[in-house]
Amino acid sequence: MTEVIDIRPLAAILVSLIATGLIIASYKYPNVREGWSILAAVTKFGIVASMFPGVMNGTVYVSNIGTILPGVDFVLRADPLGMLFATLASLLWVITSFYCIGYMRGLNEHGQTRFFASFAASVSAAIGIAFSGNLVTIFIFYELLSVATYPLVAHDETAEARAAGRKYLGYTFFGGGVLVLAGTALVYWIAGTTDFTAGGITALATADPLVAQITFIILAIGFGVKAGLMPLHQWLPVAMVAPTPVSGLLHAVAVVKSGAFGVARVVLDVFGPEFLYTLGMGLVISTIAAITLTAASLIAIRKDHLKQRLAYSTVSQLSYIVLGLGLFGWYGLVGALLHIPAHAFMKLTLFFCAGAIHVETHTDYISQMAGIGKRMPVTLGAFTIAAAGMAGIPLLAGFVSKYYMLIGGIQMGAELTPIAYYLVGALLLSGVLNIVYFWPVVYTAFFEAEDKHDAKPLVDFKLGGETRSVLPAADGGNDRSPRTDGGKPDGDGNDAELTGVVEPDVDPEEIEYEDSEFDDSNIAARLNPSDHTTPSHNNEEHTGDDTHAHDDHDDTESHDEHHHHGGPPAGGWEHIHGRDLWLGKETTWFMLGPILAAVTGALLIGTIPYSVGFLELIEVIVEGAGVSRP
Amino acid sequence: MSDVVLPLLVALPIMISVLPLIFGLKYENAGWPIAMGGSLTVLALAVYTITEVAANGRLIHALGNYPQPYGIELVGDELSTLIVLLIGLVSVLVLVYSRTRGPYGNAFHSGYLLLTGGLLGVVLTGDLFNLFVFLEITGLVTYALVASDRSGKSAYAALKYVFLGTIGASLYLIGVGYLYVATGTLNMRDLQGAIETVGYTDPLIQAAFGFILVGFALKVALFPLHTWQPDAYAYAPDSVSAYISALVSTAAAYALIRISFDVFTVEFFLVNDLISTAIMAAASVSIVVGSLLALMQTEIKRMFAYSSVAQFGMIVAAIAVANETAVFGAIIHLFGHGLMKAGLFMAAGILAAVYGARTIDEYAGLANRSPFTAASIAVIGIALIGIPPSIGFLGKWFIGLGAVEAGEWGVAFVIFVSTMLTLAYVFRIIEKLYFDPPGDPHGHGSDHDHEHEHDGAATDGGHELVADTSAVTVGMVVMVVSITIAVVALGFSWELFFDLLAPVLERFFQ
Repeated sequence: MTEVIDIRPLAAILVSLIATGLIIASYKYPNVREGWSILAAVTKFGIVASMFPGVMNGTVYVSNIGTILPGVDFVLRADPLGMLFATLASLLWVITSFYCIGYMRGLNEHGQTRFFASFAASVSAAIGIAFSGNLVTIFIFYELLSVATYPLVAHDETAEARAAGRKYLGYTFFGGGVLVLAGTALVYWIAGTTDFTAGGITALATADPLVAQITFIILAIGFGVKAGLMPLHQWLPVAMVAPTPVSGLLHAVAVVKSGAFGVARVVLDVFGPEFLYTLGMGLVISTIAAITLTAASLIAIRKDHLKQRLAYSTVSQLSYIVLGLGLFGWYGLVGALLHIPAHAFMKLTLFFCAGAIHVETHTDYISQMAGIGKRMPVTLGAFTIAAAGMAGIPLLAGFVSKYYMLIGGIQMGAELTPIAYYLVGALLLSGVLNIVYFWPVVYTAFFEAEDKHDAKPLVDFKLGGETRSVLPAADGGNDRSPRTDGGKPDGDGNDAELTGVVEPDVDPEEIEYEDSEFDDSNIAARLNPSDHTTPSHNNEEHTGDDTHAHDDHDDTESHDEHHHHGGPPAGGWEHIHGRDLWLGKETTWFMLGPILAAVTGALLIGTIPYSVGFLELIEVIVEGAGVSRP
Repeated sequence: MSDVVLPLLVALPIMISVLPLIFGLKYENAGWPIAMGGSLTVLALAVYTITEVAANGRLIHALGNYPQPYGIELVGDELSTLIVLLIGLVSVLVLVYSRTRGPYGNAFHSGYLLLTGGLLGVVLTGDLFNLFVFLEITGLVTYALVASDRSGKSAYAALKYVFLGTIGASLYLIGVGYLYVATGTLNMRDLQGAIETVGYTDPLIQAAFGFILVGFALKVALFPLHTWQPDAYAYAPDSVSAYISALVSTAAAYALIRISFDVFTVEFFLVNDLISTAIMAAASVSIVVGSLLALMQTEIKRMFAYSSVAQFGMIVAAIAVANETAVFGAIIHLFGHGLMKAGLFMAAGILAAVYGARTIDEYAGLANRSPFTAASIAVIGIALIGIPPSIGFLGKWFIGLGAVEAGEWGVAFVIFVSTMLTLAYVFRIIEKLYFDPPGDPHGHGSDHDHEHEHDGAATDGGHELVADTSAVTVGMVVMVVSITIAVVALGFSWELFFDLLAPVLERFFQ
């Protein structure tokens, strides 16, 4: 591996930092401001991509800024693992910057300047994490990422958003500022250096095993907080109060992936896979990951709010990566690292779809999405494809990474310890669970109609079931039925008498939900309803400041905690078909384009992983870490 | 020139401090220009001294040419001149700030110069009793300056400070007395050898250290001897708060470092395990309790005062850890904290002047109207938490690393966890500034009062944000912003500090 001094790693980070300043400076001119975002994104991707061929051939580009602490330089190294994350983040930012425009303008959001500026700074920090050459540098960017993403989480400025911001900061600073810092100090004390060395820092291998174990645990948990390892994952569902592009790029791709990336760095470049295996730590993190995997999937099944469901899905999928990293062997590591881009494309698609649905129809709850496939066919189609990928259906990205991990787990089980078989079992189970929680969305969108759809037992019914009677009851219904006053338009509950079966009647407008975990009365969607749902269609040019959006909504809100807006309009969903479909009339191309781009990425990774470069790069990474191809 | 600059540094401000009073007989506003001239001279001399000392080693000046151990010596080594530089910088910055912000009056400026002279004396002296004299001079003038806006609250705060400060100084004096009884000398350089001869476990020596330590703990405002500080910082005029928070406790902490490692030496700590452990425990408690108390405050300046309690806890813990890395960190943090607190208090003063905002609720949404000041508070606060790159991170890193190297896991744990504690109160302020709608006392945001805000006139109980922009000049904001930039830029400067302080640390730790 030849090291070459090059300005490009530093340039890649500085591009969007400069853009941050320019965005703030052009706050009066929204189009110019958005132009800076796009220009910065494209430039950044260009710089990163230009280093890709060299890195594949073994060159490592280094920018050394100077010594920040004795023995520790503030150094940026574009090595294969760093390139993986940097390419992913910069490519997806290009797509997301277009999506942001569509989303923010579609909702006429306030504070757009702060939003775009913080976004640019956050991506800058993410690339900084990718290119960090040692633990101290990655710590610096890790903290800066938390600081830069905070304004995005608290964007809505409601009490709920502020509380979410506080929780987010609390968790990420605990993980980063306390644990990662402590771990870094310990590594420095033991080894005298914190540089990332492919295959592990050699001085660590000769340290006292107990100290090494404790250091690894501290570092893994520190990075694991951002990667959503249970039980420190709580910040992720709460942070869904942020606007969807934030949830998408940052929380499904950049922030949580930087946590997983940090764990990858610790495993591959600080301790080394072999040493970790001898310490017994690989199995520990894999087990924690397997538990998180399963538990998060189970929780996701019960969530009615689409973004919450996706959040728990993210928690679950991120643990795939950590699981693979703990498996000892070529296949496990390749699978884990491949899951980074695979999941990124798929999850981004899912979030973009959720955002588009929100902007166009103001629907956030799955129970209100019956028949929405008519209204937004392309969006829901992309959703279906991405969801299939999450479950591990072949031809999609999720299948390839999962396949590798399954082989890795079985191989570890056969060669080293039978515990690995349980991990394999968890992976398989999770595939089934993925289907369980994604299928209802697809089913209700395409195969149900607004006026005729079933309850979803796993979501709507109480845990443990409920009692019903098949005997005809005098009052025409079981008064412990969860539906209080909903009824079929023509029925009065006498059907029990006739057929012996109480049919669930679900009228979305009248169901009382107890989704107490997530009080949505204050989120942006409630306060800034989409223009197209109100008769007066005023499309004012948004000057990037706060006032306009709030004026329209004053009296349309009932401030009733459980009153959900959204759902089909009075006459049912508008059916977009034929020519309108192909012209993308269901939503703006600003949002549709990125959705299609992301889902195409997922398909490409699933069908030609080598040709798109990711799998080859990952094989270079794993070989460099000293794990040879069997 | 060389060592003559040391007595000049001390005597000049004291002598010049008489001039505002004299000129005040004739001219009304003679105070500020004279004080400015004096401070600039001090700054120039400080820069000269530090470059001289960095190049050629420490300067020693025997006052009146009386040789030690009979005479009083002034010693300027790399550590003292670093603090001298801090004193020079902060006095100029705060003076520019106070031109508009006040207090005004020749008496104030006279006291200002006297305080500068006293602090320089504390930092530059090489004699223990002389240190007491300058400590008292500093204290007396500080009491007067705290009360200088003539309000009842500040008079009360000053009175509290008088009582407790005098007790602290007296305890220190008792300690010095014991040392004199034990060794017969008061000169710091002499005492090093003399104490070694008497023995580090001698009860008289241990008692002396104990008294000196508690005396300084009171001056540095360590928990539970901190009770004077919140009142003094909160009720003093804003310029005075900025000055004293940056410098007075800093000088006392400097003196503690000097006496611990130059007079008693690190051997004393190694031999007296119990004393080290006790100090580390007390300091750790100070860190935790100071941060928790800061979190509970509603008034901004009190919050900053309790924050100082926590930060000085970290510095004293580092002294007790007593290894090279930790003390290096303590010195960096001393310097950095001085700058950061000066910046924070000055920014708080700006917001108080323009909006009358003194409590955290009154800070709601001010970031929109005062972007630079709010950004400075945010950045300095983040530096205080210890996020790189910033001088706060440097100090914390070395102190934490020193604790880890010494195997002091308890202290290391507290230092790393203190990140969370500082985060809590700093982000409370930042959240209020940026993410609460303006004029919203309870932060209920966009529900009830929201509609009213946009009309510009609060109709029912919302605060009407009256901005008195004439109370603040661009210069004041420039001061604050330049401190902010310095705090971040110094985050890359560990090598500068290391090159400067290496001789001192070598001497301390052989």
